[in-house]
Amino acid sequence: MEEIRIGVYICWCGTNIAKNVDVERVAAEAGKLQGVVVARDYKYMCSDPGQDLMVKDIQEMNLNRIVVAACSPRIHEITFRKALEKAGLNPYLFQMANIREQVSWVHDDREKATQKAIDLVTGAVKRVRWQEALNKRSVKVNPATLVIGGGIAGLTAAREIARTGRIVFLVEKEKSLGGMMKKINRTFPNLDEASKYLNPIIEEVSSHPHIQVYLNSQLVKLSGYVGNFIGTVNHKETQSELEFGNIIVATGLKPFKPTPLSNYAYKRLPNIITSVEFEEMLSKGYIRLDSRQEPKHVAIIHCVGSRNPDFLPYCSRTCCQTALKFANQIKDLLPKAHVYQIYADMRSMSKGCEEMYSKTAKRGVMFLMYDQKGKLPYIREAGKNEKTRLVIEMKELLSGEQVEVTADLVILMVGMEAQETSKQLSQVLGISRCSNNFYIEKHPKLDPVATTTDGVFIVGSCQAPKEISDSASQAKAAAARVLAMINKDWVEVEVITSSVREEICCGCQICVHVCPYGAIEFLKEKKVSCVNEVICKGCGTCASACPTGAIGSRHFTEKQILAQIEGVMLQLLEV
Amino acid sequence: MEFEPKIVAFLCNWCSYTGADLAGTSRMKYSPSLRIIRVMCSGRICPTFIFKAFQEGADGVLVCGCHPGDCHYNEGNYKCLRRFKLIEKYIRQMGIEPDRIRLAWISASEGKLFAELANEMTQTIKNLGPSTIKAQLEQMV
Repeated sequence: MEEIRIGVYICWCGTNIAKNVDVERVAAEAGKLQGVVVARDYKYMCSDPGQDLMVKDIQEMNLNRIVVAACSPRIHEITFRKALEKAGLNPYLFQMANIREQVSWVHDDREKATQKAIDLVTGAVKRVRWQEALNKRSVKVNPATLVIGGGIAGLTAAREIARTGRIVFLVEKEKSLGGMMKKINRTFPNLDEASKYLNPIIEEVSSHPHIQVYLNSQLVKLSGYVGNFIGTVNHKETQSELEFGNIIVATGLKPFKPTPLSNYAYKRLPNIITSVEFEEMLSKGYIRLDSRQEPKHVAIIHCVGSRNPDFLPYCSRTCCQTALKFANQIKDLLPKAHVYQIYADMRSMSKGCEEMYSKTAKRGVMFLMYDQKGKLPYIREAGKNEKTRLVIEMKELLSGEQVEVTADLVILMVGMEAQETSKQLSQVLGISRCSNNFYIEKHPKLDPVATTTDGVFIVGSCQAPKEISDSASQAKAAAARVLAMINKDWVEVEVITSSVREEICCGCQICVHVCPYGAIEFLKEKKVSCVNEVICKGCGTCASACPTGAIGSRHFTEKQILAQIEGVMLQLLEV
Repeated sequence: MEFEPKIVAFLCNWCSYTGADLAGTSRMKYSPSLRIIRVMCSGRICPTFIFKAFQEGADGVLVCGCHPGDCHYNEGNYKCLRRFKLIEKYIRQMGIEPDRIRLAWISASEGKLFAELANEMTQTIKNLGPSTIKAQLEQMV
């Protein structure tokens, strides 16, 4: 058997780790462990010099196992695996100890943090000894793509891909394409007609020979893996089975219903409408009250539902700009009308929108600030002698005075929330949702359109509320990712699958029954189980159910995990 | 000196490990008692792992997986739950207090919950005191 020669690298992550963990001591303790040939600490292991240090050691010291103690493996495991490959070592002979997210960022006591870091490194060193070289598997990529959602994000992605001659299946749950953008009258900051942009895309997508549009449809089942998915799409009473290599999720968002905020009297008093309803009114070309008269006083209340811990704790991102746009549209249609912006904080941050804010302020629009954390504005019916039918009572924050705003029409700038279907779809796709029910990206900074499931991308407002231009950017980014993969023609898939040691398999078939994918077959002639590695996703459920230990999950073998348990429990230091 | 427990925690890669990472990126402070071991799915967690942890001197074992319905592998967490019920019965017979093991569902967004869980479990184990299983086993040999 080959001699195990382990290299251990403790990352400082600048001061992120080094501040709360004595990295030198961790390296010194790791150096004492069996099989460790070299143990070093370095400022940034993920940097080029950091990786080079490791590569040089592997080559010069004949290292055949590597441990890096740094950030979460979810961030840099791939980086270091590539460095191993560069040094001529199999990338699976590598283990990470997470001493940043699990140690330095969560523990202040330097002594205890250092001790925990030593334990985690010991676990990784013990485990890596048993790790085996695995060969990556390449599979062909099906050049078709599934796009879920026919709003601006989904339409843009579908069009971008189809224009290169590739097949797109576009699944939309509503009866027509266009999504949220179809409800918008004009876009900010230039007040262009939204339909001017949207209609040509809908037209191109609907008539494109490479796009198959499924309306009134939903993806209800998914199997396979990156490059080779099979999905079941429900369409009223019928079902279609589709095959595709990648998925772009563009399911968007829905407006918040303001009924629970009773202070805004929505549906209780007349002429109080949501921003979405006002868009519809504008699309019809008029602004008027239930009585068909034109309003003389229009109040626009911001942050309805948004930035409210009881409803939507986040900023919905587009409402301030939309509210400013409304003020301009009202002034254009009804020049004599008084417009009041009742806001909590003005966040008109998109390109060209600060300018729109200044311009709007110069058009005689009144800005009144309320305290989002204090008492919210309250709408009541006006008395007989008052000039309007509605009165908004509020404390104006800048003047510190209690004021009453008169209004004929009140527009509630409602927040935007995740679709009701987001949970069901996240389960079908195997992707995660954040605490606000939007889908989570693979990395918030470095990989914002991918998800942790390879081959599944998220674009537009299903990831978080965003404006049209950001949705279009994301859609094009995801389309580029998908096209790059199609162009390459093959993709590497995980090899952490299960395998059976036939000589100790007793043929009980428990594994066949526990496998969620039907990936295990019983070979009647040999009387043993056999794993179809193309179908197996490597969860390891079979391995923990096998009574004889014949079936094992690669890279998570019993030996490896037991050795890691031994390692983390090894008492190297006494407090 | 105050008793500082050691808890071995098995976390699934997709939800719970990500949730623990979120506790880190959000800089939530919690007890340094946990030693996290990553598995792809809570369904991979074999009773042997739990017994091994006690045998090596762990004062507690925590198992975390995705919420029901959210499992990346469809139903691994249900299988974990069923096994866990059996393990609970079994460790009682071994003389280990059932409160020393715990199963919890932690999603990728529940960093705060994870930090709270770590503190809560640490307190439970502190109240129970150190596990004597390792010493007992060593005497038997």
